[in-house]
Amino acid sequence: MSDTLVVAGTYLISYGLILGYAVYLHLRRRRAQR
Amino acid sequence: MTRARVLMGLAFAAVGVGLWFALTAPPDALQGEYSRLLGIHPPSMWLAFLAFGVTAFGSIMWLVKKTDRWDRLAAASVEVGVIFTAIGLFTGMVWGQAVWGTPWDWQDPRLMSTAVMFFVYLGYIALRNAIDDPTVRARRAAILGVIAVVQVPLVYFSVNLFRTLHQTQSIRPDGSTIPDEMLLAMFVNMAAFTILYIALMVARIDVAKSESALAPESALAGEAVRPPRLDEVEDV
Repeated sequence: MSDTLVVAGTYLISYGLILGYAVYLHLRRRRAQR
Repeated sequence: MTRARVLMGLAFAAVGVGLWFALTAPPDALQGEYSRLLGIHPPSMWLAFLAFGVTAFGSIMWLVKKTDRWDRLAAASVEVGVIFTAIGLFTGMVWGQAVWGTPWDWQDPRLMSTAVMFFVYLGYIALRNAIDDPTVRARRAAILGVIAVVQVPLVYFSVNLFRTLHQTQSIRPDGSTIPDEMLLAMFVNMAAFTILYIALMVARIDVAKSESALAPESALAGEAVRPPRLDEVEDV
């Protein structure tokens, strides 16, 4: 696997985790306010 | 538009700028493309240290003031800190595999102390979830929050205190060992991640406020079944 792909994948997984947490917070807040 | 949404939009824009800096910095002569991980690994760990420091501050303030807002601050900061510690560990392992030839070394003090810190703060979250009474939960979590923060300087200075595979600090009082373009990318990402931290904190504290507004005054069954005390019983 090329180095560029590994680095890109690492960024993608890390940012995906952060984005996932932000979405989770948004959904949890919406459920609490309903 | 809510404050949390504005902040989150700002944070994602800042992270986008940081990503651009990380991806356009020249690759390292020896590490090649892997040097781009400087744009995510050190900023993640910086954020974890900041988050756990804020937790300790919130914990101390709760122990002094006993108000919910400090407990909410401490709890929110741990969650964000744990996520960024996980990212720091993961990106470090990818970098280690490429540069050291191994993703993990069980005898390395920096790696092991970071892993222990990660699990201790996971334990903090588990402790909070195991206690129903809000005051007892806040007190016990605050005590752990104050004790656990000793790990932050231990992790940071572990590279100086012990013999490690991990390199010592790249930025020292007498200068930096990192080329300027890479250093700039790292600092831009640190700033972007700090904005992201604030945005996630505001969002997490909003969730805690919304959920505490839903919670009944006392959710404890024990309150309802408390046996009468002798002085409360009238003679018949």
